[in-house]
Amino acid sequence: MTRPRPSFRFPWRSRADIAREVDAELAFHLDMRVRELVAGGMNADDARRAAAAEFGDLEGTRAYCRAADARSARATRAADRLTEWRQDARYAVRTMRRSPTFSAISLLTLALAIGANTAIFSVVRAVLLRPLPYADTGRLVVVTESWPFDPGTHAPLSPPDYVDYRAQQHAFTDLGAYSTAMGPVVWQPAGADPTTLTGISADAHLFRVLGVEAALGRTFDDDMGGDSSSVVISSGFWQRALGSDPRAVGRRLVLNGRSMTVIGVMPRGFVLDRTEDVYLPLDIRDDLARPETTRKQHWLLVIGRLRAGVSLEAGRADLAVVAHRLAVEYPAADSGRNAIATPLHQRATGNLRTPLLLLQAAAAIVLLIACANLMNLTLSRTIGRRQELALRAALGAGRGRIIRQLLTESLLLSVAGGALGVALAIAATRALLAINPGTLPPLFAVGVDRQVLGFSVLVSVAAGALFGLIPALHAMGAGVNDALKEGGRGANATRSGAGVRRVLVTAQVARAVMLLVGAGLLTRSFTGLTRVRLGFEPEHVVTAQLRVSGPRYDSIPMTNAFYDAVLGEVARAPAVIAAGAATILPTQGSVSTSMRIEGQPVDESRLPDMAYVAIRGHYLEAMRIPLLAGRRFDVSDTPDGPKRVLVNETAARRYFRDGDAVGTRIRIGPNPNGEWMTIVGVVGDVRSAGLDQPPVPTLYVDHAQEAWSHTLSVVMRASDARAAIDALRRAVKDVDPSLPLRNIEPMADVVGASLAARRFALGLAGSFAGLALVLATLGIYGVLAYEVSTRTREFGVRLALGATPASVVALVARRGLAWSIVGLALGIAGAVAGARLLAGALYGVGPLDVTTYALVAAGSLLVVTVASVVPAHRATRVDPLSSMRSE
Amino acid sequence: MSRTPSELLQGTVDILILRALAWEPMHGYAISRWLDARSNGVLAVDGAALYQALHRLEERRLVSASWGTSENNRKAKYYTLTAAGRSRLRAESAVWRTYAEAVTKVLKPA
Repeated sequence: MTRPRPSFRFPWRSRADIAREVDAELAFHLDMRVRELVAGGMNADDARRAAAAEFGDLEGTRAYCRAADARSARATRAADRLTEWRQDARYAVRTMRRSPTFSAISLLTLALAIGANTAIFSVVRAVLLRPLPYADTGRLVVVTESWPFDPGTHAPLSPPDYVDYRAQQHAFTDLGAYSTAMGPVVWQPAGADPTTLTGISADAHLFRVLGVEAALGRTFDDDMGGDSSSVVISSGFWQRALGSDPRAVGRRLVLNGRSMTVIGVMPRGFVLDRTEDVYLPLDIRDDLARPETTRKQHWLLVIGRLRAGVSLEAGRADLAVVAHRLAVEYPAADSGRNAIATPLHQRATGNLRTPLLLLQAAAAIVLLIACANLMNLTLSRTIGRRQELALRAALGAGRGRIIRQLLTESLLLSVAGGALGVALAIAATRALLAINPGTLPPLFAVGVDRQVLGFSVLVSVAAGALFGLIPALHAMGAGVNDALKEGGRGANATRSGAGVRRVLVTAQVARAVMLLVGAGLLTRSFTGLTRVRLGFEPEHVVTAQLRVSGPRYDSIPMTNAFYDAVLGEVARAPAVIAAGAATILPTQGSVSTSMRIEGQPVDESRLPDMAYVAIRGHYLEAMRIPLLAGRRFDVSDTPDGPKRVLVNETAARRYFRDGDAVGTRIRIGPNPNGEWMTIVGVVGDVRSAGLDQPPVPTLYVDHAQEAWSHTLSVVMRASDARAAIDALRRAVKDVDPSLPLRNIEPMADVVGASLAARRFALGLAGSFAGLALVLATLGIYGVLAYEVSTRTREFGVRLALGATPASVVALVARRGLAWSIVGLALGIAGAVAGARLLAGALYGVGPLDVTTYALVAAGSLLVVTVASVVPAHRATRVDPLSSMRSE
Repeated sequence: MSRTPSELLQGTVDILILRALAWEPMHGYAISRWLDARSNGVLAVDGAALYQALHRLEERRLVSASWGTSENNRKAKYYTLTAAGRSRLRAESAVWRTYAEAVTKVLKPA
């Protein structure tokens, strides 16, 4: 027997190859046996029969062998793939280690870009993609009424209107109502200090409309008083305050001085408005008893569920029919009003949608810039590595194999960068939400979950493929022979890929400029807002909310006595300069009422809409809201004396002739025969609804005369904020130890809170733009630096032949600047087109603000000039002799 | 040539093949001849069992196969013992020997 000469065998055999091989092997065996038998004297036919008989089950064996071979071929193939991939990966890691700077820059770039995308996507997912915590949310709509003759507006419903809509509509399975206007709820736990809870009042219909059952017990089922001492609690409150007591249903809680029975615990994740603790029964029976007054009091938030098969349009048409009927029946309250149904999800995400999508777009641009950068770097490197690649090809690596190898390197980088990015995103999202609480409605739980992770993986792989594939194909496109012959850094290496790189750099600058313009416009809006004339001085003012609750405060004199006692006590503290209180603080919004002016014709359907604030003590002095005419409230304005009122400058100007306001009598509220109140003074305008909202006509009443709220915000101008708060605590404790203070914060923070969302968006947009600029700069720098390094010889020759260093600098820098200026122009054009999308988020600047564009252009130009000149300068340091010898 | 009427167990065929290949690579037919000669015809394995075993062993990576040229100049599939096959052979032989000695001892007339 001779040793077999190993013959070449394809590593991967096809199914047909396998069948052929098995047949050949078995035929060989039978042939050999027949030969032997014939040699022993048997005739050929007998020998064949005998051989077959001896062999046994030939067909069975054939099938068995083919199946076994197919299995092992598959296993081989898989093992080979794995080995190759491992080789590629090992090789890639080695390559990365060999150029640590490149790897570090790439990783960092990718981590930042993918991190930004992941962070924004986690918010987008939470806000725009995740369903709300109710059943079949697609059919839930918010029902609002417009203000009279002002069709675009959205107001809550009044109780009588709500009941009429509910009874007369046909398009909805039901309508339900709730209200957030009840203010904080004071809970008096047995044997502990009172705490304030957030509460919502809701009716039985609402829970049915939302289609959410209680996790324990039940929700309300009787709006006619049967549930009046029942309370439903949130899962969060149940866990936090009741220790997840499985027998919570039936427990009694003292809320606002009344004993209430827990009838149900809502499931985890259920939220109506904010992270509310308790749901109290909404009782509107009193309101319905006197509809002539209450039909104009709009405070119910209403949600409806469209019947199956009824479209939104049909639902709207149905509501319009009822609205028309109500307008005819109750012209004083409802003429000119319509009812509008808005999909709940749209309502909940309305003002977040555009900014979020814009931010996601900005993040995507950053990623594109990052990819372009990496593509550039990789391209330069693969060109530098062409000799190595050509060698590998010459040694038998296939084209596909080399492309796969290069792709493995990019993918490894991008996946590692992606992993870093996700970690970064998790940290950043937590930090951002911690710094800016209240930016997003708590209805949306932001977090990195499986879907977000999937998104990041997808983005990473796509990025890797994007910046890896083009350089890989490019490297393989140039002939292997050329590369070997060329010996590395020839002139060709510089030329090849130069076009691609130029386009990439130009595009990068363009995108960075677009982002910078966007961020610039937002910054100018923001600084504009912080410079808005507030109308009051928030510095050195501390505020705290104080709510009276319990049966002893059911009478107005008692409530007044409490607040007066507290304010009097506080005013005596040496740290306090002035102390007062108001129902609502500037920038926190407004409560409105209507006004009738004595001696002026009254159009019942178009009464002036006035913001309405009740104040007590030296509120105006503490806030330094200036008195423009007349006088402030003083001790002569007793609860039983003639009613007095102050108006702000805007109201005085809009509704009264010059200087006429003081002394004029007005009636406020819906009652046309209400008590006359005399205007005794005019005070300065205040940005009450928010910094970006112009002042609205406002009435100030004395809380002693119009004690309509159980919650006042105490305001103290103090030389020492801490001492002032201590004084307030002591004062409250002296007067009624059962009442808690909440929301203690400097007025500057109250103002700041109204800017939180803007600051959040600005921070993100600013960081994206900055990142984009840095990446684009790195891109320009990298490309030029690479060019310089490949043209060392040329520069050496030029310098040797007498070129001045300055001319060499100009030669290199000119290129970088030329691409950048093209990019700049494109970017400005793109920004002009894109800035319109931002218009809604801007304040005090137009989307085409020339200053912003000029600053961005100048700044970018400066940065790209530096990025171009530095590598150019390096070119002049070339030593002519050594550069020419180097090759 | 007398053949054993009893069917050889699958595991036994496997170890016999591994032993056959311990010295040098062989094609299937050579293996069957070698077994026949070594056991004086007692351990003759039929073709079906032999080839099924060979392909099974190849799938388990105990032997590897390649095409070569046979002594009479024909293309034949040669099997080689792999490292894994060699250590399997060692282990199985030890087991077999112990087993065989035990059986012999038991069957020895007292």
